[in-house]
Amino acid sequence: MENTSEYVIEMLHITKEFPGIKANDDITLQLKKGEIHALLGENGAGKSTLMSVLFGLYQPEKGVIKKDGVEVKINNPNDATALHIGMVHQHFKLIDVFTVLDNIILGAEDTKMGFLARKAARAKLEELSEKYGLAVDLDAKIEDITVGMQQRTEILKMLYRDNEILIFDEPTAVLTPQEISELMQIMKNLAKEGKSILFISHKLNEIMEVSNRVTILRKGRYVGTVDTASTNKQELSNMMVGRPVQLEVVKDVAKPTDVVLSIENMCVASHLHKKDAVHDVSMKVRRGEIVCIAGIDGNGQTEFIHGLTGLDKITSGKVELCGEDITHASVSKKGKNMSHIPEDRHKHGLILDFTLEDNMVLQRFREPQFARAGFIKFPEVRKYAQKLIDQYDVRSGQGPVTVARSMSGGNQQKAIIARELDREKDLVVAVQPTRGLDVGAIEYIHSQLIAQRDAGKAVLLVSLELDEVLSLSDRILVMYEGEIVGELDPKKTNAQELGLYMSGAKRNQEEGSNE
Amino acid sequence: MKEILSRWYAKDSVKKILSSLISILIGLCVGALLVLITGIFKSTISGKGIWEGIRIVFLGILSTGRDANGALSWGLNASNLGNMLFRATPLIMTGLSVGVAYKTGLFNIGAPGQYLMGTMTSLAIALSIPSEVVPAWLIWIIAVLGAALAGALWGAIPGIVKAFFNINEVIACIMTNWIAANVVTWFFDGSGFCNVQEYGKTGYIYPTRYNNVATVKLGLDKLFAGSQVNGGIIFAILIAIGMYILINKTTLGYQLKACGSNRNAAKYAGIKDRRNIILSMAISGALAGVGAALYWLSGNTEFVWSTYQALPAVGFNGIPVALLALNNPIGVIFTGIFMAMLNIVGQQLTNLTAYNEYISDVIIAIIVYMAAFSLVIRVWLEGKSKKKAIAEESKEVTKKEEE
Repeated sequence: MENTSEYVIEMLHITKEFPGIKANDDITLQLKKGEIHALLGENGAGKSTLMSVLFGLYQPEKGVIKKDGVEVKINNPNDATALHIGMVHQHFKLIDVFTVLDNIILGAEDTKMGFLARKAARAKLEELSEKYGLAVDLDAKIEDITVGMQQRTEILKMLYRDNEILIFDEPTAVLTPQEISELMQIMKNLAKEGKSILFISHKLNEIMEVSNRVTILRKGRYVGTVDTASTNKQELSNMMVGRPVQLEVVKDVAKPTDVVLSIENMCVASHLHKKDAVHDVSMKVRRGEIVCIAGIDGNGQTEFIHGLTGLDKITSGKVELCGEDITHASVSKKGKNMSHIPEDRHKHGLILDFTLEDNMVLQRFREPQFARAGFIKFPEVRKYAQKLIDQYDVRSGQGPVTVARSMSGGNQQKAIIARELDREKDLVVAVQPTRGLDVGAIEYIHSQLIAQRDAGKAVLLVSLELDEVLSLSDRILVMYEGEIVGELDPKKTNAQELGLYMSGAKRNQEEGSNE
Repeated sequence: MKEILSRWYAKDSVKKILSSLISILIGLCVGALLVLITGIFKSTISGKGIWEGIRIVFLGILSTGRDANGALSWGLNASNLGNMLFRATPLIMTGLSVGVAYKTGLFNIGAPGQYLMGTMTSLAIALSIPSEVVPAWLIWIIAVLGAALAGALWGAIPGIVKAFFNINEVIACIMTNWIAANVVTWFFDGSGFCNVQEYGKTGYIYPTRYNNVATVKLGLDKLFAGSQVNGGIIFAILIAIGMYILINKTTLGYQLKACGSNRNAAKYAGIKDRRNIILSMAISGALAGVGAALYWLSGNTEFVWSTYQALPAVGFNGIPVALLALNNPIGVIFTGIFMAMLNIVGQQLTNLTAYNEYISDVIIAIIVYMAAFSLVIRVWLEGKSKKKAIAEESKEVTKKEEE
């Protein structure tokens, strides 16, 4: 069939209703052949619903889908596959104990007399990975390879099935900065070879870098489609949030005073190998400054924070907080002067099956304010939770009695931030506080952390995002393989230099190497 | 009216109860089906016999036997109802034992062992302290407390092993069960508690009435004439209510639930997860131990001490009791009584029809199966209202936005 239309996929006036809510309200999305089309919107804007409609998981009430100008009906994912639509989900659909090759051919196996024809598949995959620059080891097991490589496996899976329309659902959320730039290159290669890409994201940098056009959704409604070349980040974020957003972090010069946290030669053993996960780390954090620990994921930041907060044992060294030696203190003792916004909000930050109000007093339920004679004063807990909800604008279906699991990621994080900041401790430890959040929420969290600093608190931030590191911190410590390899002034450095330190290519001069 | 119904249906607790009732109903229906099939294939059972069997399956507890014409008669049967409550007492306790542990994320399959340790301790205390010296009521209290302590210690062992060595509590519980079975046999084997006074009673321990120790009747024996019922059922219900309060209203309950739902988050919040795991298992063990005490201290129950080859079913039946109640202590009261009722129904089948009590075992088995399934039923029931909840959240957000 001759392709008469300019567009490979058109979703015209799609309306999808759930009881009481229009998740998609008259949304139009047109994807040109060979373009990278970004779909931008806050959490809950309707991006996923729209993609689920395209993938056949939902049936829209109104609207039509056209492929190459011809109206099609997509009733289930099999129909979508038949139309050569493929999707890389945010959470990969791979079997850990299978090899890359087996994962790719799973569900589309060619057989010869009932036996798998792996040889032909291998040849095809080698050709594909050569063509698009997708380096993977076909014989490695999924559990042994990096997240980036797992993602390339998912991409190869789509290519192996000859998909023409590739959907990437927030593909960078799980990647390191290096892997992100690799992915961007891969996406460009794919587009160059004529594949059409739908790229769901709320990260403006990536959208600006890689996409040709952007469609913006807000609260289920279509806001507009713009050419990336003729727009900028500020305009995009304003369209997405619906109000002017402060993209740049605005803050005064830090006025650090006395030392709150002092760490000397701290070591933490690794659970994975015999070497220390954290080796000989020393630092001081003072009131009125934001100190950021930068580094590529997995360089000991998690273990360092676990050691500091008491979730893990410190093997040697000394930690002093507010003049008290807390090296081997329990979590609750350490928490006396420290609040901790944890890296993993589902694993540590919240008890997902508890209500919001129960989560709000996770550390404080024994305090006289909330308990008498071993009984929890539930009216007090309710009142307190409601106060935090109002003050920090935590949005949820049923207020204090909402089960945490049912809340959106952004609001879960807000709830944690509300809880931790309201404890008013001298040291605020924030680990990747903006991970997976949209611009509006990020803006909010950044302003909260700066407010803490200006209120005379010491803030220790761990972040993987270079932008965040450079814009938010007053002092940067770079962690590489469990050691602090450099201290940088964010005003005098840039992403390139930071990247060199983070990848271990550069160390502080005192360590021996020089520029 | 529809409004009220739908609001009522939207309640979480209503859905929970509904899902349990559905599994019970399915269990009973399968039981009835079994009665029907056996009846058809057995020439000795007539159509009338089948119909009688089915009615007993559903309403056995209200059967009063047969009237002068040989037809089944119905009505309140005080002795059956009383015996039902008497048998429900230990079931409620073991159900609580399993349920409380489950709230802390632990599967206490060790209730039979804890029950046996409670049995041993309560009987030993009740029979060895002479009631001429110490008042019988005091002996009773000491025996119950002793049983609680023994059960707690026995429950704490898998807890400790789990907390410090991260060994799965199920494995540790199964091992402690059999150790308990052998310890109890060995203990009574060499003891002077074996009943030698009554002819033909070899292998039995003296009932505690020999030492004048018996659970107070609290007037229940008059209410349910001709049954074994005593005040134990009241104690069990009070303990269940106490457990409900402990789990839902206290800081200890909050900690236990926190550890059960998310051990990492509990640790993050400075809650001592190890302590709580051990504590939870100890409380569970104590509950099972008290269950044993309430049963064996009734005064007229006779314990067969050679238990090394079999674990007490009442311990294991705590699992379906808890499951069916979705681990809610208040629910356990009702599911415990229900399980005891099935037991009585089995007896009625044996006594009044050509069927035997094993059908009630099948019904229990099906209900256990369905109880595990009740989660699925609940998800199904919730599925309908879940989309509504999502919609409400977005509405709320939009409303706030507009403000």
